Amino acid sequence: MSKTQNKLPIPESLSEVESYMKNRIGLEDSFDLGVRKLKILKKNVHFYYVNGLCDTSPIVQIVKELVGINNSEKLSLQLQSIVENRIVHQSVEQVKTMDEVVDQVLSGLIVVLVEGEGIGLVVDVRSYPGRQPQEPDTEKVVRGSRDGFVENIIVNTALTRRRIRDERLRFEIMKVGERSKTDIALGYIKDVANPDLIKVIKKELEAIEIDGLAMADKTVEEFLVKQGYNPFPLVRYTERADVAATHLLEGHVLIYVDTSPSVIITPTTYFHHLQHAEEYRQSPGVGTLVRWIRFLGVAASLILLPLWYLFVQNPDLLPEALSFIGPNDKSNIPVLLQIFMADIGIEFLRLAAIHTPTPLSTAMGLIAAVLIGQIAIDVGLFVPEVILYVALAAIGTYATPSYELSMANKIGRLFLLITTAAFHVPGFVIGMTAWILLLAGIRSLNTPYLWPFLPFAPKACMQILVRRAVPGSTIRPSIVHARNRQRQPAKNG
Amino acid sequence: MEENQKRLEQNKHEKPMSFISMVVITGLVGGIVWSSLALLAYFFNFTEVRPNLILEPWALGDWKKGWIGTVFSILAIGVLSIGASLLYYAVLRRFNNMWVGMAYGIGLFLLVFYVLNPIFPGIESFWKLSRNTLITTACIYLLYGVFIGYSISFEEAERNVREEEAKESPVS
Repeated sequence: MSKTQNKLPIPESLSEVESYMKNRIGLEDSFDLGVRKLKILKKNVHFYYVNGLCDTSPIVQIVKELVGINNSEKLSLQLQSIVENRIVHQSVEQVKTMDEVVDQVLSGLIVVLVEGEGIGLVVDVRSYPGRQPQEPDTEKVVRGSRDGFVENIIVNTALTRRRIRDERLRFEIMKVGERSKTDIALGYIKDVANPDLIKVIKKELEAIEIDGLAMADKTVEEFLVKQGYNPFPLVRYTERADVAATHLLEGHVLIYVDTSPSVIITPTTYFHHLQHAEEYRQSPGVGTLVRWIRFLGVAASLILLPLWYLFVQNPDLLPEALSFIGPNDKSNIPVLLQIFMADIGIEFLRLAAIHTPTPLSTAMGLIAAVLIGQIAIDVGLFVPEVILYVALAAIGTYATPSYELSMANKIGRLFLLITTAAFHVPGFVIGMTAWILLLAGIRSLNTPYLWPFLPFAPKACMQILVRRAVPGSTIRPSIVHARNRQRQPAKNG
Repeated sequence: MEENQKRLEQNKHEKPMSFISMVVITGLVGGIVWSSLALLAYFFNFTEVRPNLILEPWALGDWKKGWIGTVFSILAIGVLSIGASLLYYAVLRRFNNMWVGMAYGIGLFLLVFYVLNPIFPGIESFWKLSRNTLITTACIYLLYGVFIGYSISFEEAERNVREEEAKESPVS
């Protein structure tokens, strides 16, 4: 706290405060900063505020109450305590330095200053522009809660707290960013989460030196896991409050970043990216089936194209029963080039769809489906098989629950295609081996990326293969190093 | 009714596994998973060697070449693989990195295909095998070695960490 002593204390004269505000934060230059001057018991009382970030109705109440002092109180030397007593709001705090005053005003709180006192009263009347919680677009479910996280960290932590009313749930808040001063909250359950992990994350967050976190959670992630050009997502994001709460209970540590509707879940493995809330909204049997089909889709997105291309190159590899596979028509362009063109074409579509407004996207879909697909075959550009397999791989990509992982798998697919094209069977086999070993070698926050498959953990692996009944899964996954491994109190039996 | 209730999954209580049973299960699953993959590779003609190889030294009926033989040989490889993982557990578990596992896998590959080659009449001698066969089988053995080795070494490291934690804070 020695830092506070170096900072400028609030001057007693209010005109000095005003000139400080003019020089430092551009009062009068910026239109969104304002000051309201009142005269109460013959003394000046000033309010500083930022319009748009604070709610007017409580301010009007407070002003009414303060002006009322003139009618009901006698002249007194105790103006400061009278004013403090009359502020009709539950959240009032005293500050003593100008830096705090500036920070709080710019965060949307109001600061009340009384002539000759050198103390600021901070009233929390923040009301940030934002939307109501709605269902996130990327994680829809058929049944289940529809309230997703929003851009406001307070609402997000509240949505989580509503699901876990545990006294040991902690949200530690800190400010990161020299200029943006973005709020970041670290959420965990105290007697469950691994204290070492919390320490590591806290250290990494405090070490962030940047002017602003405009891209919020993504920027924080890059500082946290330092992945470089490795395309695989090393943390998982969720916009669903129920998914966040589930992971807290499993012993994960969550990072909430203000201005972002996604929450970072750490530590994460490859298989965390293959799970979806929908599986836990169905009965265990159905959930298991859904999960297996999803695995098939992901596998198809990764190896279907390279494998098919291998058979195009070496048709003699095909067993008798499958010998019908392969391009039946002669093609004018090498098949490898066709695959790349079709795959890149789909990528064009995907990129276009992201920023095309809905009314135009119908037209875009028509052009894509009818014109490009069919006509490319008719004019002899593509053979039909290329369209089929590229489309299957693309659907597999979309069946991947994690958007980030589906993109990384796409890169893996192109890499395998190239090695297969160059070295045939050895290229495919060594490419697959290298891919698995590379993934197994990744460690995200000290967690092996392919856990629980490699290194193998039998029980956790069962949890991945089979969506277990919730009452049966009484042990927290060991990878989070939970301090308390039992989820449900063990009865004798 | 009571009996029935007890058998439901909901009423079971899981207990953390002992190390040795984890090693045995890892060996069994590793053997089955990777030999199944080898079967797939054989099906697509990546390799000339099929899992049925394991039954060759024994004179059995004709069934050993059919699908029953395949199922049996995958199970047999699973059982043999328990031995391989126990050996790793006994000798190499202290090395907590993937390279040791890879070397272990390659070592096993050389043992089966080079040293023990004469007892399998079905495979050609090492130098006469095709390039595809050698590379595919070597890769499968390598991944198998990493699977066994990395899993056991990782578990060993985890257990050490947990023990140290238990020493530091003797709560519960």
